[in-house]
Amino acid sequence: MPPMKAKITPADGVREILRKRVPRAKDLDDLPDELQLGEGGLGLDSIALVELLLECERLFRLPPPLALLDGPPLTVGLLAEHVRASACR
Amino acid sequence: MPVSQAARRSFDFLERCLSHVAEHWPQLSLSAGGHVGRLRNRLSQRWPSPEQVHTLFPSLSRHEAATVAWKIGGIEARNRILARYLEKDGDRMLPGLMPRPAPVLSRLHPPLILGFFHVGAPHALGAVFEWLPVPVLALRLGLRRPAVPTLTVLTIEGSTQQRALVFSRAMAHLRACGVVASALDFVSGPSLTVPFLGRSLELARGPFAMARLAGVPLVPLAARWYGGTVEVEVGDELVADGFSSPEICERKLATAATGWLENYLRSDPGEMGLGLLHRLVLSSDK
Repeated sequence: MPPMKAKITPADGVREILRKRVPRAKDLDDLPDELQLGEGGLGLDSIALVELLLECERLFRLPPPLALLDGPPLTVGLLAEHVRASACR
Repeated sequence: MPVSQAARRSFDFLERCLSHVAEHWPQLSLSAGGHVGRLRNRLSQRWPSPEQVHTLFPSLSRHEAATVAWKIGGIEARNRILARYLEKDGDRMLPGLMPRPAPVLSRLHPPLILGFFHVGAPHALGAVFEWLPVPVLALRLGLRRPAVPTLTVLTIEGSTQQRALVFSRAMAHLRACGVVASALDFVSGPSLTVPFLGRSLELARGPFAMARLAGVPLVPLAARWYGGTVEVEVGDELVADGFSSPEICERKLATAATGWLENYLRSDPGEMGLGLLHRLVLSSDK
């Protein structure tokens, strides 16, 4: 009997994308929820941030993430929560 | 008081007067401002100096470089008068600067990005945007009340996330078949450097990345003074190819846009903006 595949959660999916796209994320053992994506965290510039969100939009079929950017500094946890909440809708 | 300081104050005063005159006779004021600026440059031999012009355009004779410097001085004076006036009452004045649509505007097919440089009459671009058939979203440093009803202005100031939000709004505007207008030669975030007039010029990466990500053309354009009104020059559509890496694709677009500007300025060096000229001269001094 083949081993059961573990279900990938939105949080895992977001972390996988970050590790794939962001050089600084590849070097970190852990990407905690409170880690900021921009200044003071993973250091994504404005264009890299938009490209990351576009990839999430495409992969997880999210609506354009304007509201997400128009709020507090974006963190790994906030992005994962946005993906999870959008998937539930 | 030294003569040069007295002369500077007199010219400053004259320009302030002309910006008041612009409330009633805008074309007359701007046209006169051009003559005053020429005279000012001719007397001061500064901002820019003929030597600075000659540094960038070595094929010009000394006399031709001086003539170009006078023209740049005249354009700068017009721009200062217009900028001062727009701060007060842009709504009323801008539409009169381009009384009829320029025929070249019919070549624009939205969605697209209009990429402009700080040459000629950049403050008057709102008058050009008024004639476009779709709403225009202009990205600029600092907010200013839109001069025309079809124009929305967003500022590129702020944190990384605020700039990302503006970028996303511009992408949404392009998806809705709109036009986004952005300066290419003003850098407030990520940048890239390309060759220009034998030197290097740092450009904003944003408009090129936006063209790539949205899959829309970028069209270089420049406004220029014609007496007290403005004309516009538009380049060909520059299209991001889908095969190169993002970096190569953006660099190709940027090189093509500056190539267009270089041709434009080589055919009329007097359209060079003073700020851009100083940046280039300083970069050559390094």
